[in-house]
Formats: sequence, C-alpha cells, structure tokens
Amino acid sequence: MADKRTVSVGVANRIKRIKLEIPSDEPTPWDAKSNLKFVGTPTPRLDGPQKVSGRAKYTHDINLPGLLHGAILRSPHAAATVKSVDVSAAKEIDGVKAVLAVAEPGERVVFAGQDVAAVAATRPEIARSALAAIKVEYERRDHVVEVREARLGTAPRVHEGKVRERRTEGAEPDSAGASKAKRPLPPNVRPLSPMKAGDVAKGLALAQVRHSAQYSTPVILHSALETHGLLVRWDDPSSMTVWSSTQSIFSVRDEMAEVFGIKPADVHVITEHMGGGFGAKFGAGAPGSRLGYIAGTLAKAAGAPVKLMCTRQGEQLATGNRPDSVQRVELGATKSGKLTAIHVVSHGTAGIGTGAGVGRNAFAIYTRCPNRLVEAHDVFTNGGPGTAMRAPGHPQGAFALELALDELAAKVGQDPVKLRIDHDEHPVRKHQFEIGAREFGWTQGRKQSRADREAGKRIRRGLGVAASIWGDFGRAKAAVATCNIYRDGTIEVQNGVQDLGTGIATVLAQVAAEVFQRPLSTVKIRYGRSEFGRSVGSGGSQTTASVTPAVRKACEQVKADLAEVAASKLGGKAKDLTWDENGTAAVGGNRLAFGDICKLIPEETLTATASRPDTYGSYPMKFMGSNRYQIAGVQFAEVRVDTWTGEVRATRILAVHDPGRVMNELTVRSQINGGIIMGAGMALSEQRVMDARSGRVLNANLEGYKVATVADVPDIQILLTQVHAGNNNTGAIGIGEPATIPTAAALATAVFDALGAPVRALPLTPDRVLAALGVVPGKARPEAGGAA
Amino acid sequence: MNRFSLVRLPTLGEAQAQVAGDPGARVFRAGGIDLLDRLKEGLESPTQLVELSAVADAFGPRMQEIRATDTGPVIGALVTLAQLAKQEMSPAYGALQAAARSAASPAIQHTATVGGNLLQRPRCWYYRDAEIKCLKKGGNRCYAQDGRNRYHAVLGGGPAYIVHPSSLGAPLVALGASVVIAGIDGAERTIPIGKLFHLPSTSPQTESTLAAGEVVVEIVLPKAATGQRSAYAVAKERSTYDWPLVEAAVKLDLDGGVMKNVQVGLGHVAPIPWDASEAARVLEGQRPDAGRFERAGQAAFKRAVPLPDNAYKMPLGVGLIRRALHEATDLPLPE
Repeated sequence: MADKRTVSVGVANRIKRIKLEIPSDEPTPWDAKSNLKFVGTPTPRLDGPQKVSGRAKYTHDINLPGLLHGAILRSPHAAATVKSVDVSAAKEIDGVKAVLAVAEPGERVVFAGQDVAAVAATRPEIARSALAAIKVEYERRDHVVEVREARLGTAPRVHEGKVRERRTEGAEPDSAGASKAKRPLPPNVRPLSPMKAGDVAKGLALAQVRHSAQYSTPVILHSALETHGLLVRWDDPSSMTVWSSTQSIFSVRDEMAEVFGIKPADVHVITEHMGGGFGAKFGAGAPGSRLGYIAGTLAKAAGAPVKLMCTRQGEQLATGNRPDSVQRVELGATKSGKLTAIHVVSHGTAGIGTGAGVGRNAFAIYTRCPNRLVEAHDVFTNGGPGTAMRAPGHPQGAFALELALDELAAKVGQDPVKLRIDHDEHPVRKHQFEIGAREFGWTQGRKQSRADREAGKRIRRGLGVAASIWGDFGRAKAAVATCNIYRDGTIEVQNGVQDLGTGIATVLAQVAAEVFQRPLSTVKIRYGRSEFGRSVGSGGSQTTASVTPAVRKACEQVKADLAEVAASKLGGKAKDLTWDENGTAAVGGNRLAFGDICKLIPEETLTATASRPDTYGSYPMKFMGSNRYQIAGVQFAEVRVDTWTGEVRATRILAVHDPGRVMNELTVRSQINGGIIMGAGMALSEQRVMDARSGRVLNANLEGYKVATVADVPDIQILLTQVHAGNNNTGAIGIGEPATIPTAAALATAVFDALGAPVRALPLTPDRVLAALGVVPGKARPEAGGAA
Repeated sequence: MNRFSLVRLPTLGEAQAQVAGDPGARVFRAGGIDLLDRLKEGLESPTQLVELSAVADAFGPRMQEIRATDTGPVIGALVTLAQLAKQEMSPAYGALQAAARSAASPAIQHTATVGGNLLQRPRCWYYRDAEIKCLKKGGNRCYAQDGRNRYHAVLGGGPAYIVHPSSLGAPLVALGASVVIAGIDGAERTIPIGKLFHLPSTSPQTESTLAAGEVVVEIVLPKAATGQRSAYAVAKERSTYDWPLVEAAVKLDLDGGVMKNVQVGLGHVAPIPWDASEAARVLEGQRPDAGRFERAGQAAFKRAVPLPDNAYKMPLGVGLIRRALHEATDLPLPE
C-alpha cells in the first residue's frame, strides 16, 4: 500500500514541494521544512569519553581466559610453486598449541605476502618465533609486478584459468565489472565494461583544440591503524563467537558460517569499536589473507580461543589496496572552450585481484560534453590484491581528468571554474562551484599566482579545484531496527550495525531522541553485535541512509503504541493526541507526562521492529540514470611550492559538500576532515614501492609508506550545502567517500597553477616537481600534450 | 625478534669487554631506536644487549652531559636529540641544533641518542628487508643500483649506494667536529668526524671505522670563532617523521663582510656525511652573494653520478645549500 505525500525538497532557499509515492506505513519524511531539535545538532559522539580514556575495547584489545595468539607465515616469493610445507618442528615448540599448513603441496603462490602456514601459541612472541621453524620448499617461478611489463604478451601469466571476481560491500553499487574483450588481449589484461555516451571519435574530429596526455597514480595502501584481524572462540562444536575488526558484521557472520559449515545464526559476531577500514574490511578474511579460516581452524585444533591480528607488514602486503592507474586522457574542445569529447583509456593493477577502474568522474560529471568514453582495464600482476578503497577508482579518475581539464583550460584561455560550471548539469554542484570560488578568493588568488609565476618567484602559491560525484546508496530492507520503551522511560534501540569510527551510534540516538522528544541520556543504543538484528555493511557511504530510516520507523511505531496507552488513560482517541516538545501527551484538555505514560505500559516494554523501503525520490538530480540522488561536492585547494627544493605544502582546502541531511554536524565535519587528510596523503606522499627484480614491496610499513602526518594537514574549511532529496524518511545520504574524491585532484591542479607546468603523476614529491620545472638532469619537462 | 638478555655493567671497560668477547651476538644499547628496528626486522639476533646507560664510572657523566669547555662544547654520546636541541648554545652551532630538532619525531628525539643516531645503520629498503641478501648482508650485489633508488647516493656510491642516515652528520662535518672514542684497551683517541665513517668501496658491509667493542664517548665541537654562523636546511617528502631527501649544513665566519673558514656538509647524498669542499672553495674569502651561493651549490654536485631515479637530489641539494647560505649570512632569501 502506498500513498502520495507532499515533501519539501531542495537546497538552501531553493525549496520546492513535490509529491512522492510512499508506502502507507512509512512516517512522513523529515524534509526541508522540518524543524528538528536533536537531528542536525552538533552532538559529540557518545563513545568519545571511552575512546579518549582508553577504555574502549577494540578487537586488538580483547583478552579471554586461555586465549592463544595466532601468527601467519607469508610467502617471501612473488611467484612460486609450493613443493612442501613441514610444520612438525614448529609443533614441538613449548607454548605452541596448533599449527596449520595453509598452502598445499603443488599450490601456486602468486604474490609475496600470501598465506603459507600458521601457528597459535600461548604468547604472541612464541607464535611469531615458531614461524621460523616451519620449513617450506618453493620452486620459484617468473613474476611480473609492473603494469607496463605485465601488459606485454610475453609477460609471465599471473593467473592460470578463470579469475574469480571478488566484490564486497565496499564496491560501488552497479560499478563496472569485467567485460568481454572485443579483440584478443594479452593474458594479463582484462577490460572492464566501458562507459559510453555519444561518439568520441566524432567529438575529437570536431575539436578545434585538443589535449592528450598520460597521467598516473600509484598503488595506495589503506593503512588503518587497527590492522585486520579477529578472535574466534568455539562455544560448542557448531557455534562460535567472533570478535572482528570489520566494516560488516554480517558478512563476517555469513562467511564464517560458510567456511565452517555451520548456521549463520550460530555465529555471533561482535565489533564494539573499530580502528579504521576504508573499504578493506569486509568478510571474515582479508582480500589477500584467509584470516577467518585460519583463526577458526587453529581455535578448533587447539580447543581454545585464538586471536589472529595482522602484523603491520602483513597488513600492508595482503589486506587490500587501492589499485594504481596509467590513464591516457584525450580532450577535445572548441576555441571558446566548449568540450566536444572526453576519452579516457586506463590500465591499472589490482595485483592478483580485480577492480582497477577509475570511477565515474570522467564520465558522469561534465555531462554537457556530449561525447564521453571511459575504457578501463585490469592488468594482473604478482602483487597483493586490490580491493575497495574509499570511493573505489574515483580519486584516481578525478586526478587525471581534472588536471587534464585545467591543462585544456590553459590552452583555450578559460577559467577552470567556469569551464567546469559550463559543463556540469548538476544544479547543486554548480551552486557549490559558485559559492566556493567566492569564499576561497578564487579570482583574486589565481591572478596573484599568475603574477608570481610570471615574476619567477622562488615560493609560489597555486589554487586548484576539483569535483566529487557519489550516489545515495541507502539500501531497502537491509537493516532491521528494534525499538523498546521500558516502564522507567528508557528508550532502547537495537541494530547490529558496526560503528567503524564515524559515529553512527550517536546519530541513531539522535534519531530516537527526536522521535520521542526525550533527552539523549534516556536513549540506549545497542549495536555492534549480530544478535541485535540484521544491518548493512559500512561500504558505499550507505550506513546512515540505510539504518536511520529503519530506526525512525521502529521508534515512530512504538510512539504510536505509546499514544494508545496515553489516550486510554486520558480518555481520548490516539489519533487526536498531541505531543509537546517535552514528550508530554495531551488529548481532550487532559495531559500526561512522558514518564507517567511509560509507567502504564502493560507488559515490560512496548516494542516494534522495522526496516526501510526503497528510496522514494532523487530530487533534483539522478545518479547515472538510477532512482538514486547524485550527491555533489567540490573542493578548492591552495598549495605553496618551493621551486628551489620542489617541496609542496598543502596550505588550505575549502570543501563544499552535500551529505544529504546533516544528521550530526560534528560527525559530518569529522568525516570530511578525514577524507581530506587521506586525500592529502595520496596527493603528497603516499605510494607503495614494489621492487621489480624481487617482486617484493619495499615499504610495507608506516615509515616508508608515508601517510600524512598532523603537520601535513592543511587548514580545512567546510561548507555544507545540505540537500533534501526526498529520498527516505530521515533524508540521510552519506559523506564518507565523496569527501575524499576531489582532494588529490584539487591539490594537483593547484600545483599546476603554481608552476605553470603539470605534474602528471602522484604523489607530488620534490623529484617530480623539480622535473616539471625542467631542472633535473636527464628528465625532460612535460610536453604540453597535443597540438591545437 | 629473538629473545635476548639486557646486561648492565658498572664500568665502560667491563661493558666493552663484554661486547668484544662475542661481537655480533652482543651489542651495545644506547637509545635503542634503530637497534629495536633491526631486531624486529630480523636483521640481527643478538643474545645480549649491553646497556651503555648503566655505566657508572667516570665515563657515565661524560657520556650523559653536554659540557661547555674552554675549547668548545663537548656533547656526550648518550645525550638525547631532544636535550641537544634545547640546550643553551651559541648560535654559532645553530646548524647542529636545527638538525636535532628536525630528526624523526618528537617522541623519537626524546629517546634517540647522539651516538646512536650517528651509528645507526642505513635505511636502504633493500638492506632493511631480511629476505633480500644484498651486498651489505654478504650478498654479491647492491639491489639499489639498478632497482628502486630514489633515496640513494649520488656522491661516493659504489659498490653499495646507501646514504648515511644521521641528520647530525652533515652539521658535524660543517662544524669541524671530532669524536672521542674509547678503545678496547682503555686508551682514548680523538678523530675528526669524517674519519668515523668509511665509504662502501672500503668495505661495503660496515659503515663505521669502530672496532668491535669500541664506543663513541663524546663529540667535541671546536671553539667558535668570532662571527661564526651556521645553518641547516633539509627537504623531506612530508613535514615531520620522515627521512631527509637531502640536507645541507654550512658554517662560516663573517669577517668584515667576507666569508671565511667556510665548510659545507651534505646529508643523504652519499654513504658518509659529505664534505662538500668544492662548494666551500667557491665561497671562501668572498662576500655573500645570491649568484655565488648558486655556483657554490652547483660545485658541490660537480662530481655527482646519479642513479636512474635520484638525479633530482642534485638541484634539490643546490637549493638547500643556497637556502642555508642565505640564512647563515643573513642575506634575505629571494621571494
């Protein structure tokens, strides 16, 4: 059953009333006209004191009586056949309680870091030293670790037989999967489904100005502070409790059930606190390490619980990464700066894994360019598997496209912001470009950087800009929330969602407080356990959009039941009853305080359970033709470049984002800050370094793999342009991924502005900056990229 | 990491004899920053760590303190980088203090010692990977030479291309420091900082000239001449907690507007702290001048032989030498 309801949608003062068809049992959506007291208010996260005082227990911190510690022996070779694995000597070591040969004789290892064997011992150091007693015989095979070499027909073949695509909830919904090659390709190359509009050949033929250049980005490592891992305790032969550092409790549950042939209902998963995932923590295992299988098997063999957390090295080698990319970008335009074609051909490696695409930026943002084609390819190499990482593909794609656009803009003498506004159809993003440029001091700043450039100043400042695209991926029916209200007035909300550090539990408490108009202190949120009811994995920036509407609906149902209780006491009808802002009910001139109503609850609690329906609306802009709203974002960046040393400092970022309804301004800003810091690291210093000869990663640590430090973080200013899209009953969408998409691209365009020469490879390190300035012997200054 | 015992002996002589009795299996521990890294990386597995801070004879205070003497400051080898950075010293030694302040992170500076910092092993990623048997570990090739060598040597390289890792090296070369070493026979000797290290061509597996059981007791800085200035400049890939790409340290006496006794030390360009005497010669006896600074920088790299990925260190080094010279002479940097 559904009915039509009028909802106020839009952004800022551009609000419009639209009619939406909404299931009859849905609460009327909170919209642009809703005046909310708890939702939207900056609210410190409820578990903050626990976290800052160290009382919060992460999976790493869990200890149980008789707990054993696991350790994994990883292949030192990038490609080899395992001849034998002898664990007998390790088994004899005092304190070792279980050993496991993970690789079988005859099995191929395909990257350095792959699981070979494992042990569990009473102390972590005993487990680690026992690994040295395991004897493994390998027969070395040829390996290939670089995209350039792997693309050759003569390269060693990474995979024999068919490659299984591994998709997780971290992958963007409907994103490109493998497609059939139109022509024979080398064995390590596999095309992804192209994205196509119009006819790029025609568009390029029409162009009066062309730009064509190659852009590249390195493999990026998630580098979560809490490494991957889990603790498995068998409670009886067919049931277990699992503490897991995960973005998806239910995917851990389902995978453990499948691996050990037990029922999902007999796997209890707990994630109280989580130390970072960024797309790599889905399922019981890591993308390149069978952690769940190993921990569960060791625990069974030893008859004791086993905790198996990755070492930092194991984490950097085998638990996923952001694939690299080499992108040929070809743009066509008229002399007046009207784009006629965008063509991107990319090759990247997800190591032995799949999914080295470059996202939607080139295809779906500047859609007033009629001819667009993005052709991406996976290139298999003997490296740890790639996996989803905060907006899979997008930051790489944004970097190449946005820098190419600025190079084209320079050729046609067009302002980069105007070029973008002219080709973007999204009204909110256009608005963001406009207010951002004003707030950032774009026009004046660009004039100044040009003057500094022309004066040949030693220290240059540069300004850049880039855009973000993401969808409202909130899922129907995936999360089931329960609301209980107790006779003492306690409001309890249950859902088995994990809080991966973004503060979802606090937001759920705000939603419940809003519905009941009761103080936050009276709300208890039970989360982080599979027994609290089905929920979503935190991927695709969908958690808030998937869970808050379910919670609101369950709370509204309980409130309706509570109205019945109040009405029967007050002698009126529930439908005539009104609630004031203190939760006091009134009907027929009689009033009853919230606490007094709760005392009348007939059994112990009033309880309701609910989930959310499909997304209702997508005003004002659909995402890639779906019924999802396309959320928009724009970031402006300022850099300071020392032309004597090539050092780049990110000095300022202005982030203008639409997260859907701002549920909690503090946690929204916190996620945007995090996205920008992550993007700054990608832009300035992060790159996995692989040695071609040995096939080994040379910086599988946090010393040589350089995430941004506090001192590298720019001044961050955030403008929120919240859109009411009429999408679900809370109006929540998401912000985790879109916040990191444009940062590296904006910084790279700012460096182009500072130097007048592009740095077409990330990260923007001194060696590359000096080469772009033409002062490194043997390194040519980059060509302008294609003739007019 | 293997199991080991921590050995605390009251005299330096006993500590030295303990280590010399089975070098390799027994090693000194000062701050332990690099040592712990090497143990965790599986590069070494000593059975005993002999703790220098336990030494309580006359060497104890000498190693733990910074003393002002008539002939210049003396810095104990167990002084931490943080202590060195915040010690009240003449601005004539500013390059050394700036380097101590810039090294690693504040947390590490509070534990790492001056002696340990100088004698830490190289950070080369091939050397640091226990699975790769390179020249420094008794293998027969330097993997950096035709491998990934963006952080490696452009000067003094071959057959290994490591760079000296200590940030104190370049300023100590520029300041003309000496090192007091306690020999195994109880005799002390004082050598110039440049003689504490040798090039890989002498012996690729080691970096220092110390014999087993020998200990650096203190660093001696020469008395500063009137008008002595010094400055340190460094470039890194991130703002803190990173290894330098290149460092430049300069020392000179400004005497009647003329630069005298100029010394230029470079870090992270060579397997040893590099004495860029070619640069110093361009400056000696001249007035501070931006164009001359640039020529001095270029002279420093005249003999450089870059590897495929590290030629950028040459222009970068020129830029840092210029920056340091402007600072030392108070000649304003161009905008």
